[in-house]
Amino acid sequence: MNRVKSFLRNNLVPLIFFGISGILMVLADLKVRNVSADVMERVFRNLFLVLSLIIPIVAGLGLNFGIVLGAMAGQIGLMIVQDGQTGSMIFESEAVARVANLVVAVICSIPIAMLLGYLTGLLFNRTRGREMITGIILGFFANGIYQFLFLVLAGTVLMPFSDTKNVVLPQGIGIRVTINLTSVEKALDEFPLGERADGRPRTASIPLNFEVEEADPNKPGETRVRKVHYGLIPIATILVNVLLCIGLWWFFRTRLGQHLRAVGQDAHVAEIAGIAVNRCRIIAIILSMVLAGIGQIIFLQNMRVMNTFQQHEQVGFYAIAALLVGGATTRRATIGNAIAGTFLFHLLIVAVALAAPILLHNAQVGEYLREFTVYAIIGFTLAIHAWKARSKSISTPD
Amino acid sequence: MQRTRYTTAILIVIGFLLALTGACKQNKESGNSKANADPLALPAYPNVEARTVDVGELDFKIGLMTGTVSQGEDEFRAAENLIKRYGPDRIIHKTYPDNFMAESETTRSLLVEMSNDPDVKAIIIAQAVPGALSAIKKIRDRGREDILFILIAPQEDPEQIAKYADLALQTDDLMRGITIIEAAKQMGATSFVHYTFPRHMSLEILARRREIFRAACKKYGLKFIDANAPDPMGDQGIAGSQKFILEDVPRMISTHGKNTCFFSTNCSMMEPLIRAALDGEAIFAEQCCPSPTHGYPGALGVRISKEDAGNMTRIRKQLGVKIAERGMTGRFGTWAVSMHMVMIEAAVELAKGKVHNKLSLTDLSMVKGFLEKAGGIKVRLGPFNKHANFLMVIAESSPL
Repeated sequence: MNRVKSFLRNNLVPLIFFGISGILMVLADLKVRNVSADVMERVFRNLFLVLSLIIPIVAGLGLNFGIVLGAMAGQIGLMIVQDGQTGSMIFESEAVARVANLVVAVICSIPIAMLLGYLTGLLFNRTRGREMITGIILGFFANGIYQFLFLVLAGTVLMPFSDTKNVVLPQGIGIRVTINLTSVEKALDEFPLGERADGRPRTASIPLNFEVEEADPNKPGETRVRKVHYGLIPIATILVNVLLCIGLWWFFRTRLGQHLRAVGQDAHVAEIAGIAVNRCRIIAIILSMVLAGIGQIIFLQNMRVMNTFQQHEQVGFYAIAALLVGGATTRRATIGNAIAGTFLFHLLIVAVALAAPILLHNAQVGEYLREFTVYAIIGFTLAIHAWKARSKSISTPD
Repeated sequence: MQRTRYTTAILIVIGFLLALTGACKQNKESGNSKANADPLALPAYPNVEARTVDVGELDFKIGLMTGTVSQGEDEFRAAENLIKRYGPDRIIHKTYPDNFMAESETTRSLLVEMSNDPDVKAIIIAQAVPGALSAIKKIRDRGREDILFILIAPQEDPEQIAKYADLALQTDDLMRGITIIEAAKQMGATSFVHYTFPRHMSLEILARRREIFRAACKKYGLKFIDANAPDPMGDQGIAGSQKFILEDVPRMISTHGKNTCFFSTNCSMMEPLIRAALDGEAIFAEQCCPSPTHGYPGALGVRISKEDAGNMTRIRKQLGVKIAERGMTGRFGTWAVSMHMVMIEAAVELAKGKVHNKLSLTDLSMVKGFLEKAGGIKVRLGPFNKHANFLMVIAESSPL
């Protein structure tokens, strides 16, 4: 009995999320394969961004709302690549060129992310203890600069963007509001592995095809079997995420990683122990920004269309919500929290978004229900986490 | 240490100033080159006759995505009417998130989910918010080449939309740059205030229209005032930008006089803008999205009863009474119908016709015919940038 109790208590949040999503799916008669295909796609597209939040939390900087700046760096990399099509000049095969473009985008984004990270780190060192609110405001500030740069300067001598068909507005100045990312789309999700015998490209992905049996609308009383393509399991994207997880695990065991941990536990003690606290904090932010930039590139190669001036705005908020749902706090976060959180958060969003209009027979009320259910449950989860943390500290007064 | 910091700070400031001067210079140059091309020289509408054919019954499913009423009532009411007519098993209605700018992932999921149903043969998105293009690419990838996409008022880049949509319909915002000024002139305006913000000016059509407004004002002898308002999707939110409008309009009226016509590029600013213009006895020729229900009922305090919801003639009459009470008849105007509503109704007919192989979606006379039939009005239309599947539509403006 006690074991059941402790199991329930330890896994209360995932159970609630599964329970609610499951109930919604049964009530609205949603197909598991539809929901799971969508959730899978969302998880692999978002996981990298969520993982980029871990380092600053360990280093005691709290939730890094500043990843908005990192996302901007990623988008700048993508703009450069879509404009220049660097990979397409070198490689003949379109699929290989897309991968090359993706790599170039990442390479372009890294120095920008590092610079932004460095400046953010300097600011965070001045506003110690208030990093989160500073990060939010910094995001708004950076958004203004971003708009200025890409609406007024892009296309001029200083930022020579030139592709007026896809990237720059017809008058030659200012970036278009939507960029069709033809040069990098699916580069990772459908990573090329040469050609098959029949000439079709071989990709590092497993197609999800299901055979669906359903009532035939043309012949009443009979059923028909239909083959449906639900999407792909993107092996390369999964590998990249796994690599990042291993990288993070390894990083926290290096000397620098240990220093970051020490700073995160008690900055004062770390300072006395001879660790350059401010430097460590700046490094943590730089790493987070660089990872966020790459994360945004991975996100967008899957979305395949970029909304130049909005795509980054809510990145921080959604990634942080997912991480918190996974059981992280502002002081403690693990890779497991990130993975579980991303999965649960998106499972709930998909299930509620699809089920609410069906259950209420009214698309509009469904939308309102969706909004409040999702955020009510997230709020509730945070309360449970707080309660668990408190009951733990009472039972083990160490 | 201190010194290097100061030097860095000064260097950053200098760099920024240099960038600014570079931008100003460049803008001036481009301004000059644009001055050579007359912004008022818009392509004339092709002269086509309105035609319709019998498109048959709706024997397949149509996916219809609109906003909720908090985003704009017309599209939602049009969807309700269609569901009433065809039944919920024929019209699969979904709404995109209210916060659609941030939740393009959800918009995409909802559209992709529609394509899971093999009987869905057409998807109409009104308005086509960000996420639509991404969804179309995904759905086509999944092997559903048979689904027709009709996008109404697309918000993503028109060149890209034209590449992927089967048909895109939009009110001709470029031509309205001239017609609105003509309407304002008739109402007695001497100056014209244009509220907008940088994000909207990154939209090709809205940015070009501002130049058309400017040139049209010059032609008709109106003073053009280019005003900036806070972005409703920005840090201050919708409330912040509405508050700004309420405070700024009286200031504008005191500087430029009562014969000032107000205009804004953003939907959420309509209600405060109309209210403030009415209180200041100014002029308001047309909303950003011309329709009797857009902004007017809220600004004038008109309650639309359940029977009247969607009945444009009755709503216009009620609004006219309120405007007359204030003695402002002839200074406030809009279109006779909601264009988006008409477009949705016409899109369903066009989809039926296309699926039954009765017509081609790029046939101008058919599109014109079904639009006029759905709205009971006269429209003019033509292709945008020579894209036969991206059509710009305009109707007549009339004072309330």
